[in-house]
Order: sequence, then C-alpha cells, then structure tokens
Amino acid sequence: MPESSPVGNFNPADAPSYESILQCMRCGFCLAVCPTYALTNRERSSPRGRAALARAVAEGRLEFTAAVGEEAFFCLDCKACSTACPSGVQVGTIMEFCRSQEQNFHPPSVPAGILRDFILKRMLPSPDMMETSLLPVRLYQRLGVQWAVRRLGLNRFLPDTLAKMEGILPTLGRPLRLNIPAVIPAQGKKRGRVAFFLGCAMSLVFPDVSRQTARILAQQGFEVVTPAQVKCCGAPHLAEGDRETARRLALINLELFLGLDCEYIVTDCAGCGCALKEYEELLAGHADHERLRLFRSKIRDISEFLAEVGIRTEELKEVPLSVTYHEPCHLVHGQGLSVPPRQVLRQIPGVELREMKESNWCCGMAGSFALKEIETSRKLLERKLNNVRATDADVLVTGNPGCHLQLAWGVREMGLKQPVLHIVELLGRALPK
Amino acid sequence: MTKAVIDQLRNHVGAKNVYDEKEDLLVYGYDATPEVSALPDVAVFPENIEGLRAALAISRAEGLPVTPRGAATGLSGGSTPINGGMVLGLTRMNKIIEIDEENLTATAEAGVITIDLFNAVSARGLFYPPDPGSQNVSTLGGNVAENAGGLRGLKYGVTRNYVMALTGLLADGTEFKTGGKCVKDVAGYSLRDLLVGSEGTLGIITEITVRLISPPQEKRTLLASFRDIRTAGEAVSRIIAARIIPATLEIMDKMTINCVEDYAAIGLPRQMEALLLIEVDGHPAVVAEEAAGVRRILEEVRAAEIHQAKTPAEAARLAAARRTALSAVARVSPTTILEDATVPRSRLSETFAEIERLKEKYQVRVATFGHAGDGNLHPTALADERNRTEIEHVHAFFAELYEKVLAMGGTVSGEHGIGIAKKGYLLRQFGEGGMGVMRRIKNSFDPGGLLNPGKIFIDDASSTKVRTEGGLHA
Repeated sequence: MPESSPVGNFNPADAPSYESILQCMRCGFCLAVCPTYALTNRERSSPRGRAALARAVAEGRLEFTAAVGEEAFFCLDCKACSTACPSGVQVGTIMEFCRSQEQNFHPPSVPAGILRDFILKRMLPSPDMMETSLLPVRLYQRLGVQWAVRRLGLNRFLPDTLAKMEGILPTLGRPLRLNIPAVIPAQGKKRGRVAFFLGCAMSLVFPDVSRQTARILAQQGFEVVTPAQVKCCGAPHLAEGDRETARRLALINLELFLGLDCEYIVTDCAGCGCALKEYEELLAGHADHERLRLFRSKIRDISEFLAEVGIRTEELKEVPLSVTYHEPCHLVHGQGLSVPPRQVLRQIPGVELREMKESNWCCGMAGSFALKEIETSRKLLERKLNNVRATDADVLVTGNPGCHLQLAWGVREMGLKQPVLHIVELLGRALPK
Repeated sequence: MTKAVIDQLRNHVGAKNVYDEKEDLLVYGYDATPEVSALPDVAVFPENIEGLRAALAISRAEGLPVTPRGAATGLSGGSTPINGGMVLGLTRMNKIIEIDEENLTATAEAGVITIDLFNAVSARGLFYPPDPGSQNVSTLGGNVAENAGGLRGLKYGVTRNYVMALTGLLADGTEFKTGGKCVKDVAGYSLRDLLVGSEGTLGIITEITVRLISPPQEKRTLLASFRDIRTAGEAVSRIIAARIIPATLEIMDKMTINCVEDYAAIGLPRQMEALLLIEVDGHPAVVAEEAAGVRRILEEVRAAEIHQAKTPAEAARLAAARRTALSAVARVSPTTILEDATVPRSRLSETFAEIERLKEKYQVRVATFGHAGDGNLHPTALADERNRTEIEHVHAFFAELYEKVLAMGGTVSGEHGIGIAKKGYLLRQFGEGGMGVMRRIKNSFDPGGLLNPGKIFIDDASSTKVRTEGGLHA
C-alpha cells in the first residue's frame, strides 16, 4: 500500500484526510447540483473545484491561501454534491475541515476573534446564556419597537447584516427548554419511550413548533423525555471551523442521552439530526466506538421516526390544505431523508402534496451564510420562492429552523401568500385537542 | 503572462470572464482523465463571438496555445492545457437559439448543457437522442468536439449522426459555417464531418445545429443477469445476429454491479457475474415483438434471471444507475483508469475472455462495463496513482489489450476521443500514413499550431515542453 496521507500545506490539527480528497475522480457530476457553481459558473466555486483546491494544498502545490478559505466559507455545505457523487466524495465535510484550517492560517482580527470565540465557546455551549441574550430581543418585540422599526423602515439604516437579522427573526416566545416537562407520559396504548433532543434554535425561536413535536410523540403513544441539560449539537461550531468546541459539546450530549435509557433520540431540527448522526466521525478516537455506534443507531428525525414506527391515524382530523414541501439540505442530503417527510404529509387526512421544482435545492440560509453573503443568499431564496409560487399551494412546509426563518422572511419580502410551517405544525393541526 | 495581456483580455472579454489567480488556474487544468493536469496561464470565458474573436486575436499576438473547454468531463485529456497558455471556456455561451419544428432542427450555442437541450426539445414533443453518461453536465460543444456517444448509441448513433451545421472561428479569426438545415447536402468536402470529433484541434465551434426526431412511442426495459460474463457477451452477439437492434444494450460486470449498487441502492443482484440492461423502443407492435425476441435469446443462453422494469420510473432508475458506473467504480480506489476499446460485435465474448486473461497476467483489478451492443467496452483499472508499479502494470495491461483489439479489427476509441491518453494507440491504428494525412489537414486549418497542441498527434513538437502536473509524482 502507498504511504499514508500527506498533510502537505495543511496544518496537521484537523486537516481533511488525503484519502477523502483523492476519492474525487473529477467526473463533474456535482456541477449540475451545486448552487454556488450555478450562480458563479466558476470552477473553483464548484465541489469538483473545491476538492481540487484541497488536493493542491495537501500535495504542497498551493499554500492555504485566502482564496481557499473564501471558497470553504462560500460553500453552503448543503451536501447536494454528496448526494450526486457516485464516488462518495464528501466535499461539504472537506470544506468543514478547511474552515477549521482557515482559523489557523487566517485568524480573524482581534475584536472579531473575541466575538467569535465568545459566541462559539461561551454563548452557544450555554443554554442559559443563549436564553438571556435573547431577552432584549423579546423585550424589543414585546414593547412594540419591532413593529415601529419595521413600519417606519428604520431597518434600512442598519448595516445589511443587522437589517437582515432584524428582518428574519420572528416574534419570540418563552424558551421551551425551561418550560417543557422533563417527562411527558404516553397517551393511549404505550408504544415506547423516546428522548427528545431539543435544539437551541427550536427552543428559542420556534418553541411552539417543538411543543407540537412533543405533543405528537405523546399522542402517538410515546413517553417523551426531554433533558434540560441538553447542549448545542455542535453544528454551528463545525460550520464555523471550531471542531474543538464541537467535540466538547458532543461528548456531553453523548453521555447525557445514552444515560436516559430510551430506544430512540428524536429531533425536529434537521441540522441537529445531521450533526448528531455524525458524532461517530466527529468523536472517533475521543469516545468508545461501541457507544458512538449505539448513539448513532438511536437518532431519528421526527419525520423519519414517524414514518418508521407508523402513524396512528385513526383519531386524526381533516386538514384540507394543499402543501408544497421544501427539503432542508440537512434532511435530504445530510441524512438522505427524502421519502419519510412526504410519507408523513400524505398521511395527514385532507392534505394534498404539490411537488415544487427543485425541492431539494438550498434555500440560501446555510447557517450564517444568509447573514454573511446577503446577495448570494437572496438569489438562492428567489429561485426557491419562484418554485414555491409556481405550485400555488396553500402552505409551504419544511423541517429545519434555518430554512424556516429564511423562507418566512422571503415570503414576507417577496409578498407570497404561503405561510411557512414546520411539518409537525401541520400534523399538529390534525391531532385531536 | 504579463499584466498587460491580462488587462487586454479583461478589456475585450469582460473583467469577470478572465481568471489568472493560481486557485482558478489550478482548477482549469484538469478534466475527468486521471493522472493528467496542467496549469494554464490564463482562463478566458467569452460571453459572445466578439469576445471569442478578441481572445483568439490576443492568443495569436502572444503566441499562446489555446485549449478549448466545455464542462471538462472528458476522459482522454482533451481539454487539459498541457502546453499552458489559454484555457478557452465556452460555458458562458449557452443560449438555445432556435427550435425549428418545421425542419426538425435545433440550434444552440456550444456551451449549452446537453440535458438542457434534450429537455427543451422534449417539451415540444421532439427527441435529441445522443445521451453521453455525462449529459447532466457536459456541453453540446464538448459532445461535438469529442463526438460523444451514449447509452442510446446502438440504435440511434453518436453525436456525429445528429450534427447538421456548425459555426465557429478558426485560429486565424476566420469565421466558418458548414452544413445547414438541408437534409440532403453533398456540396463540397464535408468540413462538418472533419470538425465533429476534431477535439478542438481544428477550430472553435460556437454554434451547432442538430437534427431532431420523433420520440419513440413506447419502450420496454429488461435486466438480465448472468453467472458468467462470457455468456452475457454471447447473448449480445446473438441479439445482434437476430437483427434486433435495441436502443440500449449495456453490460456491467460484478465489480461494477456492486459499486453501482453501493451508490444507487436499487436492488441490483450483487452476486451475479454480469448484467445486461436492454431497452427496446419504437412502435408498440415492434417493441412487443423485439422484447419477446430478446427474452427468447436470453432464455436460450440461460441467463440466470430476466427482469422487466414495471414502470417508466423504474426503467429510468436503471438507466440512470448505469450512467453513474464509472464514478461509482471510483469508490473502490483512489485512481480509476478507464479505456474505450471497441470491437466488432461478433468478437465480444472473445474480448471478455481476453480481459479476464490479462487481468490474471498483469495482476490488475479491472471493472468492465460499457455499451456492449456497440462493441464499445470500458474496462476500468482500479489503482492508486501513488503506487507506480501498479500503474505500470495497468498500462501494460491496456497496451496488450489494445494489441488484441486492433488485431480483431477494433478501434482504440468508441466515444471518448484520443486527447493525450490514446495518442500512441492511435498511431498504431492508423500508421504513419494515416496520421500524416491528418497532420496535413490539421495544418491547413491551423497552420500556427495554436489550437489544442499536444493532442491526437504524437509527433507534436510542443509536446517536448509538456507541463503536466499530476500530483505527488510530478
């Protein structure tokens, strides 16, 4: 066998493996599905191009230049290329490593670095701090300032990013984490006991959605255990290139959830589900392999879970709506779940599913991408919403908080008629009171 | 490359269409051919004929070699800039200009993606048959330059059979037009036929008019599995001998079946030694008769299993899975080296036996798949380019295989072109005499030798300064 992987011009800590890069045979099948390549028609903004840049760095033919870092962050990590790639290349993951490398080679300026470290290493790992930090936003909304800012168009005077942030945030309720019962009993004939992995964004921004998730699980006959000690899944850290904190959080969640004695760990956040399913790779060498495999085997997205165990439909009420479904990248590409959400939708009485074109094409949110690359993000969103509009469905359904925020914002901005619902919100409407 | 030249290019072609940063140059130096990549000095993407004309003028003034590029999905190194110079990308000239329903033609710019043209004409109830495996990505111009084939090649032919007219520029800036919409046209030399498959060495094709036909009314897809690959080869020869011409008659060996199944998970029989994917199409009565004929032959040769696709969706999944074969095979090893050997169809079974023998002799891992009905096989070696001994064995394997293929009256390329990968084999096939004629044709189109130097011809003077940068072993 040939010599082991060269790291070349990468920093040895958290470098992408050479094997994973060499796996690309440059057939170009990924070009057709890459949103950033579709926008730029520039090879280096394509998965094939990005893999080639990583290879050049690994082989010492290229320094880890600013442009390599830019491409790593310009990648949406939507993983559409992984779905399309017959050779099994994971360019999104390779780019996650490159984002981590970027912190090494081109660390942010001191104030930006302090802010980044504060958010990633202090705030996100601490649910309490997250909840407190959003208090001003809630006050701002409760006191009607948001209404005034929007009505008067004051947000036009904020810098673009703040303006988008302001526009994208919905009215916030009270964080769910501290309000949800630790154990919710099963209704009817008990079918099992599941742990609910409550995501940060879901708890803070969409508490009502996650309340529906828990309600559905209970109504379907499952005892629902929701640990308040849950930590952020680590996805934002991986996306920003902070693998160290991601591992730290993952280890806590791993032990916490394996200690709950539940058959399944269910989440209603596609991003969390995707991250949890990748703990096995993230923690390789940092935790017992058997425990990692056991953990991995329990993780289910809510739609995956319902499709797998089968929905009790006898008590469901009619929901006479036509719906179109936007596939979150982290469900369809990250977890390969395309059929289960549709199965769930079709089982809701009265619901008519109208497929949109390119339902599995990124909406442009992609973590913090929507705030950093406002123009590109907007173009992606417009493409998506034009496809939504063409279906003339009553409702736009999705299954991830990031997509949800971005789509709801776009619907308002572009004046579409469709309200955006999480799939469990739609199912919740069919549940008996 | 001086800044003045770059500025000049930017002025004429548009600043956003000219790249000279190293990160860009690195990714315009390859196509899908393993072991081959090179650095150009600049990459230029004209949006129109004026920009293209200007780029060619600058290349002439500066003596820059010009390597035309579509989507770079080629498998013979045709669009790698091995002599440096200018990569001339045509993907930003990508308009479908006209679909002429009265004359059954479509005219499009070279950068149009093949599937986009297919879908556009399909929406008008028409059919553009050429369907290279890379159709979702590759460009029409690239298809014409490489004379690309595809899964439907057996019945419907390759790209050449659909090209009616071409427009473009020669290296000296002369505009050429050849062919037209006339179904019958025997005027003069067929420059069109010279340009199809010329691999960017004669001129830059900018506009293509293709012939369209009516789509088949019905089709039926069969999947037959075999415990022995030579029996599969025999089945192919017998189907052809029975005068049945399926639209598609594809073969996959065990290694390929398993790689494709790993990716597509559609339930292919992993334990079988070979699969034939057979699609018959046309008038319903004919389809029924041909499907029955195919089935009879499959039973006679004792195929292990015969399965008929139940729905069009299932048939489409099977064909799509076959299209991914090469890339799926690439899962197994870091480097996949694919060949394009083509034999008269009566010699298929013999060719499979030869492949088996040579695999043993050279101890190489080979997955074989391809367009069996055309006699066009893609034996694909699974190797690791970091292991030079292994790579030498692979090349020796192919060299001996090609000897046999040529001795059987075969050809060194069924659909991927010569590029840099098959220059040596081509010389063996044509001899000095044949290559000399081609050289004189090349000189009359491009006396300065600017267009895609180092391709097809082994005696190219410029190949002494090849700037291949193939990775660690460069």
